[in-house]
Amino acid sequence: MSTETPAKPQGPQPTAVATSVNLRDLRRVGARPPLLDYLVSLWDYRHFVYYDAQARVQTGNEQDKLGRAWLVLSPLLNGLMFYLIMGVLLKSGHGIENFVAYLVIGVFLFQMSSRAISVSSRAIAGNKNVIHAFQFPRASLVLAANLRELFANIPVLITMLVLVIVLPPAEEISLRWLMLVPVVGLQFLFNLGLGLILARLVSMFNDVNQLISYALRLWMYMSCLFFSIDKFDSVPWLKNVMEYNPLYNVVHLARENVLYGSFGGWRAWAILALWSLATLAIGMVFFWKGEESYGREL
Amino acid sequence: MAESSDLNFIEGTPAVVIDKVSMTYRTTSRSRDGSSAPAVRWKGFRSAVSRTKAVEVPALKELSLVVEHGESVGVIGRNGSGKSTLLKLVGGQVPPTSGAVYATSTPVMLGVNAALIPGLSGDQNIVLGCLAMGMTHQQIDAKYDAIVELSGLEEAIRMPMKSYSAGMSSRLRFAIAASIDPEILIIDEALNTGDAQFKDRTRKKMLELLGQAGTVFLVSHSMPTIKELCNRAIWIDQGELIADGEPDHIIKWYRMFTQKLAEGDRFGAMKLRRRMINDLEVADVADRNSLRRSRA
Repeated sequence: MSTETPAKPQGPQPTAVATSVNLRDLRRVGARPPLLDYLVSLWDYRHFVYYDAQARVQTGNEQDKLGRAWLVLSPLLNGLMFYLIMGVLLKSGHGIENFVAYLVIGVFLFQMSSRAISVSSRAIAGNKNVIHAFQFPRASLVLAANLRELFANIPVLITMLVLVIVLPPAEEISLRWLMLVPVVGLQFLFNLGLGLILARLVSMFNDVNQLISYALRLWMYMSCLFFSIDKFDSVPWLKNVMEYNPLYNVVHLARENVLYGSFGGWRAWAILALWSLATLAIGMVFFWKGEESYGREL
Repeated sequence: MAESSDLNFIEGTPAVVIDKVSMTYRTTSRSRDGSSAPAVRWKGFRSAVSRTKAVEVPALKELSLVVEHGESVGVIGRNGSGKSTLLKLVGGQVPPTSGAVYATSTPVMLGVNAALIPGLSGDQNIVLGCLAMGMTHQQIDAKYDAIVELSGLEEAIRMPMKSYSAGMSSRLRFAIAASIDPEILIIDEALNTGDAQFKDRTRKKMLELLGQAGTVFLVSHSMPTIKELCNRAIWIDQGELIADGEPDHIIKWYRMFTQKLAEGDRFGAMKLRRRMINDLEVADVADRNSLRRSRA
């Protein structure tokens, strides 16, 4: 706009003509549909979600020479790092049966969640161009981000199990390992729910993005990745808090089923299932409430 | 606004109703001060925290418009007058600051701004873009070849989009956006980019879409285009609706206005602007079924 704005034409005003129109068959453009319709339209966009997730997994590491090998290499290096620091230097694994496998399962599973949460929290803020170009239920972007992480993590899970088998003391493969499927399934639902909440928060206040990585690091130390929860026997309240931590339960249930030949106990399953379903329900409603705001420029 | 006693009763259902829509962008502006000179040790801190201040830019003042089926509306105005903002609001890309836009079906914006995902290849972007517009895989299969042909990308379609030139990616975006036949079509002027061959091709496709669509909004700086394609024109200046009516009539006044500005006759131009506003009648929309309609 020109800086030398001419004298504001306050004087003349257009004549308002009362106009009666029939708006019955018209819908407000960009209006947020009712929750149920929203879920149905999300289902209608399942092909979009699936294609987006799949295509981006394929091209995600194209810049790197080793390409998709990084999907496996990065948790592997991460595990090695924690093994050196926690296992060798600090000896935090004292008294834990098969500590290497204990650590591997913890680090691999936690990283799945932390990646999914941080990627999906940026799903809205980072895809403004797609949002401006097309009309579709915005939750599909968060869903696609989570699905993409799930696809990308299938080789990671396989590596994890191979490591558990190969590294001494070698574990025996059992049918109980199939229990990993519901564990990862519940973990996926939890990540999705939290991702929906964070995606809206980040789209409102970009600063939240800065905090997420710190929160995730704190969470990592609170999830008993490289020490046993028994360390906190002397501080019962802290141990209690940890037992209600959904990601601790993910890691705990995976270890019990894969390493220690136990079902893991109903309590842990119930806590995890409640967390997952509640977070997903709250996240869905919270995200849907903001549906109209995602196109807005900050 | 001055009230008028006569009531305008619109039979049937209109295609698009723009009801007192306004748009204010919030953005940041680097503050120019420095004269206020606070204590020196504060200066570094202050400049680190608040170098910029939030400002509000009114892009569009309250605007109402009723567009019926079969109308093609040309939108004219100077650069930065709010034309593109109006189209974005009608297309639902950006929610208005106040007011609402109602339409019989979701308007489709045809522009070269439909940005896609740079990391994916051209053909993947075609599928993704079409899926995002709500097409099924079968529909995409049927249209895929036509899209590739319209984009004129040939072999490059398998390369990632970030390796494309600006012209190539805008061609692809246009081709994807043009692949659905919308009932309400919004076209931004940026289509006039590209080489002669592409211009010709897009023009043909545009005419084809115009023929199919019931209602069209077209932003263009080319007055012949507006005259040729539109049966109604609106003129927006500094976010305000100035005139609304027959394209020939509106364009005549608009040309006079820009000519006066070019000659440096600001006074004359503003006088003309005031006169146009004075003669303008805007719709004060009221819904006949308002008792039953909820705004949620």
